[in-house]
Amino acid sequence: MVDVASAIKKGSVVVAVGTKKGGFLFHSPDRKKWSVAGPFMTGASVYHMVLDPRDGRTVYAAAPHFAEPWGPGVYRGRAGEQLKPTAAAPKFKEGSNLAVSRVWHVEPGPEDEPETVYAGVEPAALFRSADRGDTWQDIESLNYHSTRKDWQPGGGGLCLHSILVDPKKSKHLVIGISAVGAFESRDGGRSWTTENRGVRAGFMPNKYPEWGQCVHKLAWDASGDGSMFQQNHCGTYHRGPDGGSWTEVTKGLPSEFGFPIAAHPDRKNTAFVAPLIGAENRVFPKGQMAVWKTGNSGKTWRRVSKGLPGPNAYLGVLREGMSTDAEDPLGLYVGTNTGQLFASRDEGDSWKMIADFLPPILSVSGGMAR
Amino acid sequence: MSAAEIARTGVLVRIPSALRSYTRGQDEVVLDAPNLAGMLESLESSFPGIRHRVVDEAGRRRPFVNVFLNEELVMTAFPDVALKPGDIVHILPSVAGG
Repeated sequence: MVDVASAIKKGSVVVAVGTKKGGFLFHSPDRKKWSVAGPFMTGASVYHMVLDPRDGRTVYAAAPHFAEPWGPGVYRGRAGEQLKPTAAAPKFKEGSNLAVSRVWHVEPGPEDEPETVYAGVEPAALFRSADRGDTWQDIESLNYHSTRKDWQPGGGGLCLHSILVDPKKSKHLVIGISAVGAFESRDGGRSWTTENRGVRAGFMPNKYPEWGQCVHKLAWDASGDGSMFQQNHCGTYHRGPDGGSWTEVTKGLPSEFGFPIAAHPDRKNTAFVAPLIGAENRVFPKGQMAVWKTGNSGKTWRRVSKGLPGPNAYLGVLREGMSTDAEDPLGLYVGTNTGQLFASRDEGDSWKMIADFLPPILSVSGGMAR
Repeated sequence: MSAAEIARTGVLVRIPSALRSYTRGQDEVVLDAPNLAGMLESLESSFPGIRHRVVDEAGRRRPFVNVFLNEELVMTAFPDVALKPGDIVHILPSVAGG
């Protein structure tokens, strides 16, 4: 089933899919006929897998070292070839009494630092590598933040799952931790501020604390001015360019609960969510899988579900389960926790299933081969 | 390698397949160490990164990794388990199924 790298043609859209049992690369030159390479990291839970947009050839993945007992790992390889563990996994500094149990997310660094890679791990922490994942720097200003002793895990664990690197200002970083909230750095990770004003923590006595919110996923708004979208356990949010308070934009959606959020990479104020019934029942409302789209930063939402399963489709999508490509019109990709991969070539207006009977899908990430 | 040869040369450590990427494919390593903690240090000095697969960075044994000394499962702390030439150590993943 494994193709060779040369079979993934330059200019093809590549959708990296991490599943509970290995990773796969779906690729297509026209987004009509898809081929698949994989499985990679067979048998392992691949929490995240991404094609590095800086070269369009290197694939990074977050998965245990061969199998769960041997601890966390980061994998690297050329698209289509078997990935191998990097020389070392992220590790906390000696004496911290902390130990990395899992890598949740691998984020390629800025364009002008082609060897830089970030990793978000459990228990929540951020690591940076300057050599494509072979050695790792413990970002101490965040990882031993004064609030850490009171950090509480979300249902999936105390995980750092969202890492945003500003494409225009490489020292501008935003991260998301469940259930701690968002932190922002404007000096390359030397210092951090909590960025949760206006974000509700409905499960806390104080509904609007400085931190303690259960952020599920963050995404840059394409406006490029620091604006962001957030899907939270308690609502959907947009933050404007001033870096100030978040605005809740849940109104118009069928639920405040969902995991993924994906933003249009070029069109500002435009994002996509996949609301589920709620924390107590993490499936699509009314048994109808649907994506909801906004073009005005969440002031209004429109349901797009043509071609998606339902009624009687009782499934969900996890936090890394939705992504875009950068084509025009935009392609959207959604992977389900029941092993289906859906694709849209028209910004979500219509969908086709491009794979079924995969293991439960943990992550989906779109890119282009170069 | 015979028991007599091991006794002459040191402690024999059997490397599981998942960790042979560190040992460049070797399935056995012979070394000299006073105890299991020293054995891990010795392995690490020859094969950087391998120790982190058996214990985490806080020094805790990974929950589904087992170490056997002469076929006896080691339950005590690694520094407390003395080794002598001729000993055979197995590092194995536990059967974590149902």
